[in-house]
Amino acid sequence: MESSYLIGGIIIATCATYATRIIPFLWFRTREPSALIKYIELNMPVMIMVILVFYALKDVKWESYPYGIAELIGVAVAIGLHIKFKNALLSIFLATLVYMVLIQKIL
Amino acid sequence: MNFMALIKLTIPVMMGYIPLGMAFGLLLSKLLIPWYYALFMSVFIFAGSGQFLALTLFASQATILEIGIATFLLNLRHTFYGLSMISTFKEFSWKKHYLIFGLTDETFALLKTSDVPADNREKAYLWITFLNQCYWIIGSVVGAILGNIVPFNYEGIEFSLTALFVVLSIELYKKNKLHKPFFVALIIGLFGMVIFPPQKMLILSLCLAAFVLIVFKRSMESGK
Repeated sequence: MESSYLIGGIIIATCATYATRIIPFLWFRTREPSALIKYIELNMPVMIMVILVFYALKDVKWESYPYGIAELIGVAVAIGLHIKFKNALLSIFLATLVYMVLIQKIL
Repeated sequence: MNFMALIKLTIPVMMGYIPLGMAFGLLLSKLLIPWYYALFMSVFIFAGSGQFLALTLFASQATILEIGIATFLLNLRHTFYGLSMISTFKEFSWKKHYLIFGLTDETFALLKTSDVPADNREKAYLWITFLNQCYWIIGSVVGAILGNIVPFNYEGIEFSLTALFVVLSIELYKKNKLHKPFFVALIIGLFGMVIFPPQKMLILSLCLAAFVLIVFKRSMESGK
C-alpha cells in the first residue's frame, strides 16, 4: 500500500473521529444547555452503559453451540460478585478469568 | 487521587486494550502495513472499532472520502458521550481538548463513574485518559511487531471490557436518581442486539434510547 494513501486515510479518520467527539462541545460553547439537555446529561450515561454491555455481546452466536453460555456465565459472575462485594476490580478480574477458563478449557 | 489509585482504576481497561490493541496490530501486520502505522493510528485516531474499520477499508482500497464518512458514522455514538460531559468539562482549562479527543467508550465509562473530588478532577481525568491511550498504543505496537510470537494464550481476555461495562452499569444504576432509564435501556439493548445489524447496533440503539428518554420524559420522571 502506498504511504500517501495510508497517511491520507489516517488523517481523515483522525479528523472524523475527533469531529464526533467535539460536536456537542462546540454546539454548547456559546449556548446555555437547556433543562432538557441537563436531563439527558443526567440520564443518558446509565443507558449508554447498559447498551454497551449488549454491544459487547453482539457477536455471540446464540443459536449454535455453545449458545453464548460462557458469556452469560461471565456476565452473571460479574453481576453477582459486584452486588455482593462492591469491588469493581475483583468482579471484572474474576468474571474475565471464569470466561477465559470456560472458552479455553471447557467449552 | 494518587497515582496508584488511578492505575488501579484503569486496570480493567488495560486488560482489554492491550490484547485488543495487539489484535489490531496483528491484523495491520497481516495486511503488510509497516508497524509504525499502528503507532500513528493509535496516537492520532485512538478509536478501537474505528481503527479496525480503517484497516478493513485500507484492505479494500476504499477512497479517502469513504474512509472519512464511514469513520464518522461509526464513531457518531461518541457525540452522546460528549453530551453527557458538557458541564463537567466546562470548568476545565484548554487541556480538556485532550479529554475530548480521548473520549473512547471505555474512557467515557471510567470518567463517568469515577468519584474524584472536584478540585483535582481535571488532573485525574487527564491521567485516566492518558493511561488508557498508553495501554492502547502499547498493545497495538506490540501486536504489529510481534503479535505472532506471544506464548501466553490470552484468548477471551477482552471479556474484561464486557465485565467493565456490566459493573459500571450497576454503579450508574445505583448513582442515578431515576431508575427507569436503566430498565428501558435493558430492553432497548436486548432488542438492538437481536434486531439491528451488528455494525449499526450501537448507534441505532443509542438513538432509540435518546428518543425514548426525551419523548417519555414525563413518565421517566414519575414514580422512581
